[in-house]
Amino acid sequence: MITNIGVVAFTIEQIRDLMDKVTNVRNMSVIAHVDHGKSTLTDSLVQKAGIISAAKAGEARFTDTRKDEQERGITIKSTAISLYAAMEEDDVKEIKQKTVGNSFLINLIDSPGHVDFSSEVTAALRVTDGALVVVDCIEGVCVQTETVLRQSLGERIKPVVVINKIDRALLELQVTKEDLYQSFSRTIESVNVIISTYVDPVLGDCQVYPYHGTVAFASGLHGWAFTVRQFATRYSKKFGVDRQKMMERLWGDSYFNPKTKKWTNKDKDADGKTLERAFNMFVLDPIFRLFNAIMNFKKAEIPTLLEKLEINLKGDEKELEGKALLKVVMRKFLPAAEALLEMIVIHLPSPVTAQAYRAETLYEGPADDSSCQSIKNCDPKGDLMVYISKMVPTSDKGRFYAFGRVFSGTVKSGQKVRIQGPNYQVGKKEDLFIKAVQRTVLMMGRFVEPIDDCPAGNIVGLVGIDQFLLKSGTITNNESSHNMKVMKFSVSPVVEVAVEVKNANDLPKLVEGLKRLSKSDPCVLTYMSESGEHIVAGSGELHLEICLSDLQNDHAGIPLKISSPVVSYRETVEGESSMVALSKSPNKHNRIYVKAQALDEEVSVDIENGTVNPRDDFKARARILADKHGWDVTDARKIWCFGPDGNGPNLVVDQTKAVQYLNEIKDSVVAAFQWATKEGPIFGENLRSVRVNILDVTMHADAIHRGGGQIIPTMRRVTYAAMLLAEPAIQEPVFLCEIQCPENAIGGIYSVLNKKRGQVISEEQRPGTPLFTIKAYLPVNESFGFTGDLRQATGGQAFPQMIFDHWAVLGGDPTDPTSKPGAIVKGKRERAGMKPEVPGYQEYYDKL
Amino acid sequence: MTNEEVAVAPSLSTHQGEDAFTFQRYDHSSNNRKHLSLQPVENGPELDQLIYNYYSIEETIEFIKSKPQCKRVTLQFPDELVCDCSAVAQAISSKLDIEIMKTPSTCGGNSDCSCPNSIDIENDEKQTVWILADTSYSPCCVDEVAAEHVKGDVVIHYGDACLNPVSKVQVAYVFGKPAVNIDETVKEFQKKYEDSSSRVLLMADAPHSYIMHLVYEKLHPIYPNIAFADISQESFPHSTIIGYKPMSSTMDLQLLNRTFHHLVDDEDEELEQLLMSYDLFHISVPEAPRLLKLTTVFQSVTLFDPVEGTTSQGPFPNLMRRYRYMHMARSAGTIGLLVNTLSLSNTKLLLNKLKAKIIEADKKQYMFVVGKPNVAKLSNFEPIDIWCILGCDHQGIIIDQNNEYFKPIITPFELLLALNQELSWNGKWETDFGKLLVQLKQNENENEHEDHNSEDDEPQFNPVTGKFASSSTPLRRPQYLQVETSTTTNTENAQTNALVNRFSSEVVIRDTVSTAAAQLQTRHWTGLGSDYVDDEENAKGALVEDGIKGIARGYEFDVNNNS
Repeated sequence: MITNIGVVAFTIEQIRDLMDKVTNVRNMSVIAHVDHGKSTLTDSLVQKAGIISAAKAGEARFTDTRKDEQERGITIKSTAISLYAAMEEDDVKEIKQKTVGNSFLINLIDSPGHVDFSSEVTAALRVTDGALVVVDCIEGVCVQTETVLRQSLGERIKPVVVINKIDRALLELQVTKEDLYQSFSRTIESVNVIISTYVDPVLGDCQVYPYHGTVAFASGLHGWAFTVRQFATRYSKKFGVDRQKMMERLWGDSYFNPKTKKWTNKDKDADGKTLERAFNMFVLDPIFRLFNAIMNFKKAEIPTLLEKLEINLKGDEKELEGKALLKVVMRKFLPAAEALLEMIVIHLPSPVTAQAYRAETLYEGPADDSSCQSIKNCDPKGDLMVYISKMVPTSDKGRFYAFGRVFSGTVKSGQKVRIQGPNYQVGKKEDLFIKAVQRTVLMMGRFVEPIDDCPAGNIVGLVGIDQFLLKSGTITNNESSHNMKVMKFSVSPVVEVAVEVKNANDLPKLVEGLKRLSKSDPCVLTYMSESGEHIVAGSGELHLEICLSDLQNDHAGIPLKISSPVVSYRETVEGESSMVALSKSPNKHNRIYVKAQALDEEVSVDIENGTVNPRDDFKARARILADKHGWDVTDARKIWCFGPDGNGPNLVVDQTKAVQYLNEIKDSVVAAFQWATKEGPIFGENLRSVRVNILDVTMHADAIHRGGGQIIPTMRRVTYAAMLLAEPAIQEPVFLCEIQCPENAIGGIYSVLNKKRGQVISEEQRPGTPLFTIKAYLPVNESFGFTGDLRQATGGQAFPQMIFDHWAVLGGDPTDPTSKPGAIVKGKRERAGMKPEVPGYQEYYDKL
Repeated sequence: MTNEEVAVAPSLSTHQGEDAFTFQRYDHSSNNRKHLSLQPVENGPELDQLIYNYYSIEETIEFIKSKPQCKRVTLQFPDELVCDCSAVAQAISSKLDIEIMKTPSTCGGNSDCSCPNSIDIENDEKQTVWILADTSYSPCCVDEVAAEHVKGDVVIHYGDACLNPVSKVQVAYVFGKPAVNIDETVKEFQKKYEDSSSRVLLMADAPHSYIMHLVYEKLHPIYPNIAFADISQESFPHSTIIGYKPMSSTMDLQLLNRTFHHLVDDEDEELEQLLMSYDLFHISVPEAPRLLKLTTVFQSVTLFDPVEGTTSQGPFPNLMRRYRYMHMARSAGTIGLLVNTLSLSNTKLLLNKLKAKIIEADKKQYMFVVGKPNVAKLSNFEPIDIWCILGCDHQGIIIDQNNEYFKPIITPFELLLALNQELSWNGKWETDFGKLLVQLKQNENENEHEDHNSEDDEPQFNPVTGKFASSSTPLRRPQYLQVETSTTTNTENAQTNALVNRFSSEVVIRDTVSTAAAQLQTRHWTGLGSDYVDDEENAKGALVEDGIKGIARGYEFDVNNNS
């Protein structure tokens, strides 16, 4: 049982001491679908167990952050806070990992639930080892629950589940005990279905079971929660049974026959009379009774019940009635903080436990080098390895705290460190800076406390290195340390707007503002279009809206002209070049023969999420391509490059046979391919899923005549020619859209989806509720204003959640201006000042 | 494949035979002489007469006669008029009874070349006419260098001219007199502007300027607010225009080498603001740089093509693309200064200033002269991040409309903006070197008071990519490097004779950071044999054989084959 109650005021030294006992630290994030009650639940935890430094105690509220977060009632940025828990000896024994003493430090990160802000969740997951997955007991597992759960498992982060909003089930839906049990067990099952798809032998079985104590049931709003374990503790004394055994009996098909005082697994007794499920009888029954008595104002019953449950009310609390009384009673009966902290401390791993199995998935370098070993051992005396996962704005405008986690070593104020950006490679100078850390700070909500140093396993803020990192990076002190792996986001910035200053003198402020915006958000992308417009790209309309308001009001602080949102497209091919494309160099002495073909979608996706990676060893990469995607091994080993930016989903494969001097032109070919894939032939967009096979090259015997000047333009031309010969097409981004609604709104939803080129993929009723869940693919281009249309068509009953899912070919010939893609292409070309018609392959093709 | 063919070793690279590579030949051009607006079959005496008139031969002869001290008269033709060069020279020399010489275009200063360097000048008493070979840079500029090759005293420049001041030689311009259907022009104009109160300025390239006032007089009764631009004689006092007398202007209304007549100035505005209130109706289609400049000066631009008789309003070169390039220059580490003119005044001065500015900004610079720049020539220099071209504002600046060039090309104006600490962009586009130098001086005076705030090696945010550019100031790193070298013990630095030293991942040649060496390191192929380093076990080496002899234009091997 947790013994401390209330906000704890610690001196910084005391907190710092807790950080040293790293086995007693838990780093965890709270993740859930939007509106499933994360922040409310977090609030109730902070009120009961939050740590603030003694100096700051009594000041403003803790979780109070951005103004727009409060106005909109959603979380936008993730916030870290620390909690303190002192456990009883008895419970400490149950922790199956190494611990010292009974005081625990819990670093909790509350993350946003709206799908548009998934990148914040990713950044939070990276620095934590465990996740508290909050699920609404009525809505069940939703799209974002699934996304973040998958992501956390991918990062080897252990989940525990909280089923929230039980008060709603009891008060609004008035379900029976058995219905509630069924609903719980279905929700848990659907969570386990997702978890079971991630079988990771290193992580072990991560499925959650109430009888293991890895599932809690809560009402964040009313501030109470319980686990089966807590009830088991109560009853184990009464029945004289071991707690562990009791826990198993309190869930599933386990029944108690009050007459015979026997446990059975059949729901009928010997006489055929129905028995009540143990969970319902021992766990739900007291809660139902309390609700019943208090909400129905059965004044006489209440005191006896309270006495039975050992709940003591104070003077004025006795005067309360109805909901207010219910809250007080339930909080005393089943305090939320107690149940949740117990679950977190017992079941979530400490940094020591977690890093032992996470090290290899976190580190880019070989698993046997000293940095990786230090991470594995969470060694405070080993190599310094800090991963900066995001930038948190300071009160000083334009400056940021670098927020991250110390994975090994100890980071000290004033220490000189190597700052390695995402493009850094060992032995190269790119993206490498050597600078001193000015200060190390503890970040607690919006308070910041300076500390001298921070040992491995803890979450930290660094001051003075923000100028050298844009969004994320690795901090080390060892010259041979590789980078920590870059985070892969589940969302992509596919919705974009052009921004423009109203007053030309404000231009420097806009550029500075764009830089700050890029820093402050892990996912937002700012760049400049071909025609010189500043573009801001976000993962969805809401994300973009928040980014732009930040840009205008905060980062740049100037009025802006903002275009209406558009989507970014990709150029691709659907077939193979109908003939071998040939281009001659400007001096006519070199010829390149290539064919383009479409890359399988699976390969492109694997390249995009990093499974097939240009930085990997080419043999390992070839293995994956051959085994998983059926590539020819020789081809797979002869991938010359990825593009654009050296890592995109387009490939050059060398299929030539015995061409002399071929290695000499490789660099020129690579440079040309980066260039060509960045600006495609159709309308200057990035290429995607294009594989270019070099079939033959003829070259001038004299090196000067096959230099970059001859090869680069030629390779670009021939890539274009091959593409235009291989059924060119354009791809558009598609959202996965999930809508929950009552049955009568379905018709309206379908008609709106139809109008918007949406494609319904599933429609299910959530058992036990009148709610339907519709899943559909919706082109991002059609999603603008979709929420409003849907609201109109359904009388406000349907609210969609949209998350980027995949790229899909926009049917039609992009070279024909009368087709839909053709019109898009033509519009874009005209805006960019290009000739309105797509050039034919002849433009780039040379006759023999 | 038959056995006989297999007996020959397979060709690993291109076979160098005549059938594989033939030099590109131009199709025989039919010299249709569009500028003379000929009927297809016209030839003979009519043609001579047309040429005579078009090139104002009569006045030219008078001009030459009036300058007896000019012994060597050189004629410079642009590519599209070169078909007439011999006819013109013939006409002039027959009247003057003098000699015609041609400078061969491929004169490498060989001893057997008949260049005037080798001709005894003293013998020369008569005036001679020389036709200059094709110009090295932009044809609109006077090619001083070519004229100097023959020690020319005067250059007669034919065709469209930028009229930018020339420093050394005497120049006479013959623009030519293209026939224009004035009525059709007026009709097109009326079609375009329905509102008779429109403020429109008429302008044309140099050859078409002679019709300006004719068009103006026709239009003025209908459009009281129109004005026109004529060639400004004052901007080049040392040169003469043959065959056309521009109207003299009393007002100080000059810009773009033009004088403006009949501008309506209600509010006593500056000339630039005044022009901004005008629409431009331009007869003939100017080259991209000139066009871009015009779009920044006028409210709107309409082009009228007198040959086709059509008007167009775009697409014009996009100024915002220049803005993008300016940002790319800010984060570029290595800048190539590409000299594309030798005759423009102030070129050298500006070049030196630019170099100084680049070094001050801790960027690396190289200077290039490549003759006429093209895609292939420029992409040979991979370490260059961005090119800055110094050239004539009519045709000497490359405005890469179709993204053909590997690396972007900017003008000194954009480069200077990029090198300023403070970011600015005001929608202007300055191509005049003189004005740039003035501007530069002003900036220098202002900056003197500023503390040069060299905030160590912070990476620069590049708004084009949205990422940090860590290599935007390659020359700023040495100080910080030295801290580094003390901590890293280069014990394994056995190869002391290595040209390139690597100090903790930094490439340094003789204490300066080499961006080129850094570039070389990122390359996969770094020189002969570098691709065989990995398979040491096969390191047997091959037999040394005789290679191909000769120069690439034609190897001995080719020559032997042909003969």
